[in-house]
Amino acid sequence: MDRLSLYLDPQIRDWVLFPITLVMILVGILRHYVVILLQSPPKKLSRAATREQRALTRSQILRATSSNSPIPLSFYKAISQHLSEAYKAGTYLKDGPPKADAPSSTPNPLSDPAAMDGMMAGMKTQMVMMVPQMVIMGWINFFFQGFVLIKLPFPLTLGFKSMLQRGIDTPDMDVRWVSSLSWYFLNFFGLNGLYRLILGGDNAADSSRDMTASPFAAMGNAQPGQPQDFNKLFKAERDNLEFAEGLHSWVGENMDTKILRKYGKLAAL
Amino acid sequence: MATTTDNAAQLIFAPNVLHNQALTSVKFLSSCFAGAVAGILGLENWLGFALFIASIVSTSFIIYAINCRGKPAKYLPGGLGELVNPGQDNIFTFILVWTLFYGIIHVYD
Repeated sequence: MDRLSLYLDPQIRDWVLFPITLVMILVGILRHYVVILLQSPPKKLSRAATREQRALTRSQILRATSSNSPIPLSFYKAISQHLSEAYKAGTYLKDGPPKADAPSSTPNPLSDPAAMDGMMAGMKTQMVMMVPQMVIMGWINFFFQGFVLIKLPFPLTLGFKSMLQRGIDTPDMDVRWVSSLSWYFLNFFGLNGLYRLILGGDNAADSSRDMTASPFAAMGNAQPGQPQDFNKLFKAERDNLEFAEGLHSWVGENMDTKILRKYGKLAAL
Repeated sequence: MATTTDNAAQLIFAPNVLHNQALTSVKFLSSCFAGAVAGILGLENWLGFALFIASIVSTSFIIYAINCRGKPAKYLPGGLGELVNPGQDNIFTFILVWTLFYGIIHVYD
């Protein structure tokens, strides 16, 4: 197998290879901080509104441990029934107990200002993510076009030739010799780990998140908080509470016999 | 089955799971160094990927033996699978660093 090797000017390495990587790292860090600065602080809810949101969580926490519960039955029942009564009477609702004749309605997400803020924040983040990528791709295509940059250590199929050797019109050259745009792609995927190390786990520079997220996903995250009708949720929660009450079993049940058995003072079963 | 997974989920202590991020950093650094070694040695094709797999196996073995003391299920929510899995990010990191070092040393004079 002939070791056909191209001789590349070392200045390409100094002036293209390293600068592209450096620029991408710095732009990623810049993106992360821009997103942080652009995020508006979450709106402070009134005490009544916060209480309404947290009320549901209280019963969920209680229910979650019901089958291995750290509290004995009487305590559990007391809390569970108190929550049940409160849900029925509507004491936790933001606007007080519902009037009998008022129709319940879910606020329209387009008109509810709080949900709109959530959607706008999501879309703003998306724009900030996309713009630098487009700019860098344009920069690379303009300045670093038409020459071979590096040789990949692993082989690829011919299908990749058109994408990775853009601007170099040689039909016979090995696909492993690639242009600068492919170095951009390698960096695009490979720097996520570095960002995770420098910027922490939840950074905005992560390109793998750009693919999975979309304005719809952001909308889905923003909505479940506000436009829900808490009255209906509370009614549903009452049924869940009853069901969980049936499942309750205290971890400390028969603890005296269990301990005695463990230390051999009582005959084992 | 629902009750058993709930019970198991109850026993997980969240701040410790967050600290498991240290494991991710170790995997990232080991894949960086594996990439550098593969590039410097001039490994090509499947030899390079074989080195990557060898580095994953040895890193996981060391963590398994020393940190997890033979019981990864006790320390990691995902058990052995989560210990060995390098994650998509680290595969691409390996390829990037491998290409970089291979290019610097073997392609450029």
